[in-house]
Amino acid sequence: MSRSPNAPTMHLWAFLQGIGHYPSGWRHAGADPAGVFTMDYYARVGRLVEKGRFDAIVFGDQLQSRGVRGRTPEHLAMPTLDPMALLSAISSVTSHVGLVNTLSTTYWSPEGLAERFATMDRISGGRAGWNIVTTAHPETAPNFGEDDLPEKSLRYKMAAQTVTEAQAIWRERNAELGTSPQARPVFVQAGQSADGRDFAASIAEAIFCSAPTMEEGIAFRNDMRARVAAAGRDPDAVKIMPGLSFILAETEAAAIAKDQAILDLADETLCIEYLSESLNCDLTQFDVNAPIPIDAIVAQTSLPKADIARALEKPAAIGLSLGKFAAGYVRTPRGHNVFRGTAPQLANMMIQWVEAGACDGFTLQPAYMPGELEIFVEEVVPILQAAGALRTDYPGSTLRESMGLPRWPADMAA
Amino acid sequence: MTRSFLFSASIGDSALADPAYAAQILPLAEAAGVDLLMLGRHDSLPYDPQVIAAWAAPRLSRMGVVPVVSSRIAHPFHVARSLSAIDYLSGGLLGWCPVAQGGSAAQLADLVRATRALWDGWDEDCLIIDKESGRYLDTTRIRPSNYVGTHYKVRGPVNAMRPKQGHPLLICDAASPFAVPGVDVVIAAEGQAFPAAARRLLRLEGEPDVASLTARFEAGEMDGVHIDLANPRAQLPALGEAFAALTRGRPAGGTLRERLGLPLAKSIAQEEIA
Repeated sequence: MSRSPNAPTMHLWAFLQGIGHYPSGWRHAGADPAGVFTMDYYARVGRLVEKGRFDAIVFGDQLQSRGVRGRTPEHLAMPTLDPMALLSAISSVTSHVGLVNTLSTTYWSPEGLAERFATMDRISGGRAGWNIVTTAHPETAPNFGEDDLPEKSLRYKMAAQTVTEAQAIWRERNAELGTSPQARPVFVQAGQSADGRDFAASIAEAIFCSAPTMEEGIAFRNDMRARVAAAGRDPDAVKIMPGLSFILAETEAAAIAKDQAILDLADETLCIEYLSESLNCDLTQFDVNAPIPIDAIVAQTSLPKADIARALEKPAAIGLSLGKFAAGYVRTPRGHNVFRGTAPQLANMMIQWVEAGACDGFTLQPAYMPGELEIFVEEVVPILQAAGALRTDYPGSTLRESMGLPRWPADMAA
Repeated sequence: MTRSFLFSASIGDSALADPAYAAQILPLAEAAGVDLLMLGRHDSLPYDPQVIAAWAAPRLSRMGVVPVVSSRIAHPFHVARSLSAIDYLSGGLLGWCPVAQGGSAAQLADLVRATRALWDGWDEDCLIIDKESGRYLDTTRIRPSNYVGTHYKVRGPVNAMRPKQGHPLLICDAASPFAVPGVDVVIAAEGQAFPAAARRLLRLEGEPDVASLTARFEAGEMDGVHIDLANPRAQLPALGEAFAALTRGRPAGGTLRERLGLPLAKSIAQEEIA
């Protein structure tokens, strides 16, 4: 594996919501779908990720159950348990891996979330991170007594306000109880829109994004580094961590066949249910063999209607049936890069991306869990380490140290 | 079935968020025969007890953990999710003690009702997880709660599984009372009235008079004791010794509800759904 001697080493995160990245991943022989309700599963995953010298485990989160118009899907793996609880329990059985909890600034009070992260940081010995999100799903509002979400730009204003108030609470608590190991959680953000990017540039220390190609990764990282510098911050103190899903096998052909086999597990019901969730419209009412019923979908969805219409324009124009479109849609879950090939090929690609400035590391999204993550740790990690592209031991015990961030966040100075 | 003496203790000290300290205290409490370790107190919450409870979950063998949940900052949707997860991670060893922290008792009761309503949106046998047929859930067993109370309005369904125990054990501290049916354990001081509950614990102050406590337990005057620990490291071994005769030979294993003989009342679950 060729690698420039002065190239930076890469950071690895594991994004572990649910039972894997692929909606049909739970049906794979190497998946443990019942395990996600047991401590044994999380202990196993925590140890695995630490063995791979990952910076952190990240759990995504929502504040609504799946189920458009009250129709709970039957073929999708759910529900997902509260990530705070999963990460705190994992911290109890690990010693180095960071724990990034997703928490909404739209439906949490500054007091509640500040207390939660302060305790996570203390009890984990300085390994807490906060994936700062605004809630964008309209079905969340009724779970908090409201009819509608706050409007988007207001949500970002609320987010900035909430972070500022939480910072004040942490400073106060640190003065009162002694500074927690990291003073506050590491700030992570994932916004892709202009509002989201500016918010990230102002506070994030790591950014989770989708970058389907190396070129898109380079463009995003350059854009973010410019925004971070414009906000008066050091671009090197912000790590860009695009999502990367992967299917590994002994040969490239075998990986492609394995990928197809997992996709084949996505039966028609699953595909329609998955697309229904993404479009926020119950598609089970329509004929799968008929053209995509754009007008009906746009009329029924509670997501921004213009966005939905735009997303459906192209597949409808080429004459895809609803069933065909749904079957294709599960192939690229959430628009992330999906690699299919051998372990050396994946290691090589990861090294190239980092050297090209497309990212500072990767947020790995195994297609199914925990089997595919085990393969990565057993086969890809040693190649990366032998090439000097991945550390062989942790530099310290806090998440800030693992990420190569300044020891103390500047905003926490008294 | 013979009655089991119940031993509950609380820790309200901020030091419990220090992992080295907490790692010492949990086994000391287990060894002392504590049944319910309450994290926080109605008047002292220097950390987030739900985080500590989750951290403690993989370290428990038989002892229950009881995070104090304050309606000052809690929301039923968040509470229902976090307690569901901790109940699974601990293998069903979770209780919770809602407190008002200066808020109203009516709001506190509403928090409990709303949280239970969210849990009851999921039936206990809703998971199918059949890789062969591709069916993951029996969706006829999941429903929105559409809860509308005096303080909270929560639609659901919550994106969390019904807790392993159905509902975690519900503990009421008479110092911060709330009126809902189906309270499992109540804690009250000498001379204070016991709100209705399946088990009644006497809050002790000072050195326990074991002979007198044993007589009162045998007379059915109360079902056990609760102690607010000021110095857990020193007190736990001493209390364990003092109560050894009362706590010896009690059943072990299973969930907290199973071990303490406190099944979730079916009428409560039905009432909450209706």
